[in-house]
Amino acid sequence: MIDFVIKKLNSLNLEDFVVLFFKNRDRMIRFTNNSITVTKDKTGSALFIYMAKERKRIAGATYDLRKGEIASFISSLYKSMMASSETEYAHLPRGPFRYVHNGDIDTKIGEEDLTPYVSRAIYSALENGAKRVAGSLSAFITNIEIFTSGGAEGRDIRTGIELNVRAFTSKESSGHGIAVSTRLSSFNPEEAGRLAGMYSKMAKNPKTVREGRYRVLLSSTVAANIFEHVGISTSAFMVEAGLSFFKDKIGEKVAVSNLTLIDHGQIQGGLDSRSFDDEGLPTKSNKLIDSGILLTYIHNSTTAKKFKTESTANAGIIEPHPWNLEVKSGDMDDDEMIRELKSGIIVTNNWYTRFQSYRTGEFSTIPRDAAFLVENGEVKASIHGFRLSDSIPRLLNSISGIGKKRRWIKWWEVETPTLSPQIIVDGMTVTKAL
Amino acid sequence: MSLDLDLADFVVERGVDEKVDYVEARLHLTVKNEAILKNGFPELSAVIKAYGIGIRVIVKGALAFGSTNNLERREVKELLKRLIKQATNSRPLFKKPVSFSREKVEVAKWCVEEKRPIEEATGEWLMDKLKELDKAIVERGRNVKDRFLTMNSSLEEKYFVTSEGAKILSRVPRLEFYGVITAYSNGKISQRSVQYGGAGGIESYERIGIYEKTCKEAEVTSKIVEKAKPSPQGSMDLIVGPEVAGIMAHESVGHPQEADRILGREAAQAGESYLNPNDLGVKIGSDQTFVSDDPTIPYSFGFYLFDDEGVKAGRRRLIYGGKISEFLHNRQTASFFNVKSNAAARASEFDKEPIIRMANTYVEPGDYGVEELFKDVKEGVYVKSFMEWNIDDKRLNQRYVGHEAYLVKNGEVKEMILNPVIEITTPKLWSSLDARADDLDFVAATCGKGDPMQGVPVWMGGPHLRFRNVKIGRR
Repeated sequence: MIDFVIKKLNSLNLEDFVVLFFKNRDRMIRFTNNSITVTKDKTGSALFIYMAKERKRIAGATYDLRKGEIASFISSLYKSMMASSETEYAHLPRGPFRYVHNGDIDTKIGEEDLTPYVSRAIYSALENGAKRVAGSLSAFITNIEIFTSGGAEGRDIRTGIELNVRAFTSKESSGHGIAVSTRLSSFNPEEAGRLAGMYSKMAKNPKTVREGRYRVLLSSTVAANIFEHVGISTSAFMVEAGLSFFKDKIGEKVAVSNLTLIDHGQIQGGLDSRSFDDEGLPTKSNKLIDSGILLTYIHNSTTAKKFKTESTANAGIIEPHPWNLEVKSGDMDDDEMIRELKSGIIVTNNWYTRFQSYRTGEFSTIPRDAAFLVENGEVKASIHGFRLSDSIPRLLNSISGIGKKRRWIKWWEVETPTLSPQIIVDGMTVTKAL
Repeated sequence: MSLDLDLADFVVERGVDEKVDYVEARLHLTVKNEAILKNGFPELSAVIKAYGIGIRVIVKGALAFGSTNNLERREVKELLKRLIKQATNSRPLFKKPVSFSREKVEVAKWCVEEKRPIEEATGEWLMDKLKELDKAIVERGRNVKDRFLTMNSSLEEKYFVTSEGAKILSRVPRLEFYGVITAYSNGKISQRSVQYGGAGGIESYERIGIYEKTCKEAEVTSKIVEKAKPSPQGSMDLIVGPEVAGIMAHESVGHPQEADRILGREAAQAGESYLNPNDLGVKIGSDQTFVSDDPTIPYSFGFYLFDDEGVKAGRRRLIYGGKISEFLHNRQTASFFNVKSNAAARASEFDKEPIIRMANTYVEPGDYGVEELFKDVKEGVYVKSFMEWNIDDKRLNQRYVGHEAYLVKNGEVKEMILNPVIEITTPKLWSSLDARADDLDFVAATCGKGDPMQGVPVWMGGPHLRFRNVKIGRR
């Protein structure tokens, strides 16, 4: 099929084209109240095509790969492109390129029976104090092929397994755990269940908390949610659109001096690792923030041309995006972080982060699951019913502690796999409705 | 585009042959054309076409869902076999067997009327509209510098068939605009995102009033950075416009009344509900609180006549006179509650399972004139639109931060104020509602739920509403 597509695209005398072919198998088990609610099995293929000619360009994706439909899709795409407005863009990178796979896959994931993992997670949560357990376990295997008019040609295969587990001791008291891995050997559903169960027990009988400014310990899960927004805001596309608080900040101090954020095209344990980006460039690691200084935006060829720089191999044909984010670890162990918090709040999970303005970075987010009030360096009470309100630029400059231990986070609220430590943020505003 | 109806029929016939308790097949096509204009410069346009089949089976009380876009009969047959095996193997871990409510078996064909077919909304047509909007934004919003505008036309066709005999064919065209504009003046920045959309042909552009609404937003956002004063704080009266009424109805009424949340099925993702299964009839708001969800509003963004379980849709009265009066059901939750499904099951694409969703959720209009609402407000705020918002995962603790907002004094709308914060619980909010105006308007939104995540088109709206004695804060 790909040969046919390339032949067809070659016949159109295009200046640039990209063909990406994805073949996936995704399986999922969802569970609630200690019981499976549904099993899912998705197999699918998708063809992504980008074409450019005479300053016009278009991107198309189709899941309709029936005979006859592909030719018709390409013809209609070409027709639409030729009728479209001229755009500013850069030609595709010129290959050939050599792609190196970091070997981080486990094809057994594709066929492994997932139900025992679900049982292990539920059992672990119950054993650690939970009364009921909910969650989802998913496993994927993805094959990707790329061909470009720039001479790029490559294949990639990636695997992953993800568990999101939430345990309850009552409607008001819950805990959350995550296990994500590219390999079965390092996948630990018991640990995710244990954390969820333990937190659900610790979260019993929550109290309310006074509004005001607090020193807050954000778990790896919460920190990853914030750092994902930071990573996305380094996209040059977002900067241009007025959707980033990093506009005109290259080379400036944007965070505390011990914060370093890196985006990795490939990294051991990174669920979104790829050998090549959507323009065929070999992916690489890019330091985005180095010791508090914003070093670069992330680019595809077109944004790089506009910003008079080189692509960072983060294409997205339309917009560049981070692959896998890593926050460098700090020097504090878990107990030390709680002691150092002195008087403050621990937030283990959050959701619904929304912005008043992406340009200024003003946002609020809602803690969910276990949260605790800390006094004199000790956990005093389980708390609930509050909200954190802040701005990301202020937050990044108010981090007073970074943990040694890091965890890979990817779940409903964190789409970009992020390896994050816990962090302590000074002066976060706590508000509440209750 | 023609759907391969025989294939869906074939799947169901095979499922019946295999003696499963239930099997359904949904052929589902979605085609979307999108244009993007950034600060007046066209980005590349995009076309996305998804076509495949989604299958659900119930085997001895175990539910399995599967999908593929490889529509060779051999492949689809293999998928069905895998699903039956999967359901059978997982049965011991289904502590409560899945059952569906008994519903009328429907055979139907329905579509949304198009004066000019949506296929005429080509990439170039969409880009022309965006250029028209961008020009107007620059002219009408002198402080607006950043403009990120997108518009898409889409077509959704489905053929749904079940082992019970349901056969439903549908076609829904839609038009949608999403834009973010940012205004700057004297070191102040104000950002506004808007989403307008509806079902219908390309005449939807005029019907929705996208041009007029966008012009107004440019003027307002430009004015905010020049004129808005700090918001007052404290307890006071609050008047909200239809957009804010809509988000309140969606977040704090529609979501917590989804029966799957109430039963815990979304616990680990979208969360649960502050309501319990036996909370029907509980008084949650003032006598003025009437909230409905209705998929059948003509040309609405969330329009449908039959849901993705083949049940005929109608209006759902979620809160009636302040009392919880109805939950949103699919056939599974309806069976649990021993009621009929009210047709809330939807799937966003072929590879997603149908789950309970809102369609068009709104506060029902009252009998006050809009001006009348303001008359006896001595001191308060009028929040016409919002930006930041969120709500906890039980749908109890919510916050809406105003965008276009004004001070109200002695019955008159006064100066513009900056970002007033409404942070309130669901019972307090709806208990404070004392009057509803007789207007009604909607905005479009994409509602997210499920795992994998499914974004579905919805409307949310209402009339102008007046709340008494509500806590207002500032950012």
